[in-house]
Amino acid sequence: MLEQQLVNGFTLGLIYALIAVGYTMVYGVIELINFAHGEIYMLGAFLTLSFISMGLPLPLAVLLAMLAAAAIGVLLDIIAYRPLREAPRLAALITAIGMSIFLQNLAMIIWGSRPLPFPKQALPAFFSEPALTFSDVTISWMQVIIYAVALLLMVGLNLIITRTRVGTAMRALAQNQTAAALMGINVNRVISFTFALGSAMGAMAGIMVSMYYNTMYPTMGYLAGVKAFAAAVLGGIGSVPGAMLGGVVLGIAETLGAGYVSSPYRDGVAYAVMILVIIFRPSGLLGRAVTEKA
Amino acid sequence: MRGAAHTLKYLLLAAALAYPLLPFRDVYVLHVLVLIMVYMVLAMGLNILPGFCGLLDLGFVGFYGIGAYTAGLLTIHYNMSFWLIVPLAVLNGALFGVLLGAPTLRLVGDYFAIVTFGFSELVVLFLTNEIWLTRGPLGIPGIAPISLDVTWLATLLGVDERWRYAFRGEVPYYYLAMVMVALVFLVMTRVEDSRLGRAWLAIREDPMAAASCGVNLFAYKVIAFAVSTGIGALAGAFLARWTLFISPDMFKFWESFLVLCMVVLGGLGNIRGALVGSAILIALGEVLRVALPKLGLPAETRFLAYGLIMVVIMRFRPHGLFTQVAESTMQSGLIKDLRARIAARRTA
Amino acid sequence: MDAILTVDGVSKRFGGLMALSDVSFAVERGAITGLIGPNGAGKTTMFNCVAGIYTPTDGRILFADGVGEPLNVAGRKPERMTALGVARTFQNIRLFSALTVLDNVRIARHCRTSANFFGSVLRTPSQRAEERAIIDAAMENLDFVGLGETALSPAASLSYGDQRRLEIARALATDPRLILLDEPAAGMNPRETEALVDLIHAILGRGVTVVLIEHDMKLVMRICKRLVVLDHGIKIADGSPQEVRANPDVIEAYLGKGAAHA
Ligand SMILES: Nc1ncnc2c1ncn2[C@@H]1O[C@H](COP(=O)(O)OP(=O)(O)OP(=O)(O)O)[C@@H](O)[C@H]1O
Ligand SMILES: [Mg+2]
Repeated sequence: MLEQQLVNGFTLGLIYALIAVGYTMVYGVIELINFAHGEIYMLGAFLTLSFISMGLPLPLAVLLAMLAAAAIGVLLDIIAYRPLREAPRLAALITAIGMSIFLQNLAMIIWGSRPLPFPKQALPAFFSEPALTFSDVTISWMQVIIYAVALLLMVGLNLIITRTRVGTAMRALAQNQTAAALMGINVNRVISFTFALGSAMGAMAGIMVSMYYNTMYPTMGYLAGVKAFAAAVLGGIGSVPGAMLGGVVLGIAETLGAGYVSSPYRDGVAYAVMILVIIFRPSGLLGRAVTEKA
Repeated sequence: MRGAAHTLKYLLLAAALAYPLLPFRDVYVLHVLVLIMVYMVLAMGLNILPGFCGLLDLGFVGFYGIGAYTAGLLTIHYNMSFWLIVPLAVLNGALFGVLLGAPTLRLVGDYFAIVTFGFSELVVLFLTNEIWLTRGPLGIPGIAPISLDVTWLATLLGVDERWRYAFRGEVPYYYLAMVMVALVFLVMTRVEDSRLGRAWLAIREDPMAAASCGVNLFAYKVIAFAVSTGIGALAGAFLARWTLFISPDMFKFWESFLVLCMVVLGGLGNIRGALVGSAILIALGEVLRVALPKLGLPAETRFLAYGLIMVVIMRFRPHGLFTQVAESTMQSGLIKDLRARIAARRTA
Repeated sequence: MDAILTVDGVSKRFGGLMALSDVSFAVERGAITGLIGPNGAGKTTMFNCVAGIYTPTDGRILFADGVGEPLNVAGRKPERMTALGVARTFQNIRLFSALTVLDNVRIARHCRTSANFFGSVLRTPSQRAEERAIIDAAMENLDFVGLGETALSPAASLSYGDQRRLEIARALATDPRLILLDEPAAGMNPRETEALVDLIHAILGRGVTVVLIEHDMKLVMRICKRLVVLDHGIKIADGSPQEVRANPDVIEAYLGKGAAHA
């Protein structure tokens, strides 16, 4: 029982982690809680659905959906956030929430407000079969795929951040925007790249969730987004490895909390984590402490 | 110009006072006007945090909900009078405000915003799941309307009767809401033009300089949070005894966003702006609700338009409509005297 | 020497950086003391430690208000330091820029007044009297620095030099015994600087002790009775302007290695 819940919690946690890196990277470079990130996750699922219904094969549909989500993320920044870089922070935050509401309702208009199943025929039949079984723990193929894809994406992301020029630029930007600009970094390009990367990963999370639970609905991004954000806070907002760790910890905590403490309060775990982490350890598990300069 | 603005203000006030008595009054319009006034109270309450103190609160609605449920439960279980409930609800809201604020108000930046957001979502979760207390998602129906017991007046006049006025329909609520808005407005303008209000504005403008002027940042933020959450709870108490039904759905994040938009649209820190922002956004919501289906658009387009409109407003007016802070200060008698003194000195 | 402030072995560490290491000096009551040193020497950090913005990593800061015993105030909150009688200005001007000149100074009366929420809402007679007294005190300080006539203009509309003077008025309005001025002449033209010198002497005339950080050596040599020199967080000299000017370590710190012997 416990083992099975750990497995399920780990699966969920990887999904949170994939979304959380998007929050944390964007927060790192422009200090904005990108509320619309949850909607990008939702759009990933729906775009895949639409591409499949156009007759595209699953891998191509997924790839296209990720690319489209990346493009939407970049556009979101260029159209909505970029004009407000010098404006009061609240204006940007309200814009982010406004875009989240806009995208969510746009999805309702396009795809309807009722939950839709993931097109079964597009998935290979073995997905829902158990891949591994130890005594009373089963890991389905779908879970194995989630592990594999999530780990692959995260390793890839880490390589991009630590080994490439644009990754270095991202980190420089997170440290100090003006200094980075002075060093000749094209700030807007790097920010766009950050949005693209975060959005693609968030979309992939949405796609895998809709396969895993076999459902998608326009409001699915809200709760998932909030929880992933809690994961980013738990890991230390601004820290990419922190977001990954935070996601996994939160996924497991939530599943165990629901199983052993109180299942109606399942969603409360994320909120409680948010509040407690901020009160007792605002820098999160892996974040830097914030100091004020005189 | 100033005189004309003043005349217009009094004309508007007179029209607002007279409207419910006119033959062509409309129940729907009255209802919307009361709703606007509820949001005016909320917006004035929220304004204290981002507007006066520079603290971002994303969970204001949690305290609105606490006020509403305090009022609803006390009415249902103890049949308590509204006039007794109001101070209790306000105190309860302020109490939760202090309990949440005390451990978190030392934090800087967005951390406080995140905590308030998490808290208000927890409130909704609590209201939804603690069915023994709140009936959960079903909500609390059948809350008694407000009644005014003026038997004391009868006794005073030597009449041996029970004089009791029960609120029915929108009209009495309309006038009560006006009184509530006027009182909160009075409190807020007086506070704005006082040692307390100045300390808050100093915190918003520059916390370090404020501390160097002798302001205890933490204490004044806690006071701000308590006053703000108390006012939120006041609006909630009114709501419960006006709509006579409350449910957890009424206190979701969307509401916090709406109130925040009102404050930002009006102009952060401007009390008058909070009033105007509430009127505009509630009226806009109603217009969209009525107009869009007539254009053959699905109901969802209302929120879509709403989101988009906020984005556009922020794009072109990120500082809101009225950017002046401490307006009431400039209108106080002491400052008018001072202005005259300075002018006299200049000419001398 | 009657010291109003005694800094005793104060160190301040930021991560791996020792912004101050084991600095000791005393500030004479009723005189002007200059705190000088090259950029990044730790001067502002020292002010922040005295004013309560930072808690020193080590050491004591003794403040003698002239009445009771000296108190170790290291680590006290800024608002408590202000209440004790230590006021300061900021190197990079920190005014409440959305407010009027008057309100900037009125806020500084905070720690000398007491009206609370209820008093403000009910406008009790004592609250109203207090408000009147606050305006009088604020105007008195504004007139003192020569900004009385601008009282009702937005603080942000003042010229740079006037903004610096407004910061001084704000600091003075807290009724300090000791005022810390962080580069008050920065960005001022020669005429404004002259006026500033007069102002500083007038502050002294009010019985307020002055400590001043300043890069303009001519100014410092002219008005300070004693100087304390910091370099890389270490106190390298301390004494009268003449003594300090002749000190080879100081010359080296300012002009680079070898300069003293050239
Ligand atoms: N809050 C802080 N966190 C980290 N380092 C700091 C902080 N404040 C100051 N420092 C560092 O401490 C050193 C001393 O800084 P300080 O501002 O005290 O210098 P200063 O003598 O006032 O210089 P200047 O003449 O340029 O104003 C510098 O290296 C500075 O970068
Ligand atoms: Mg300095």
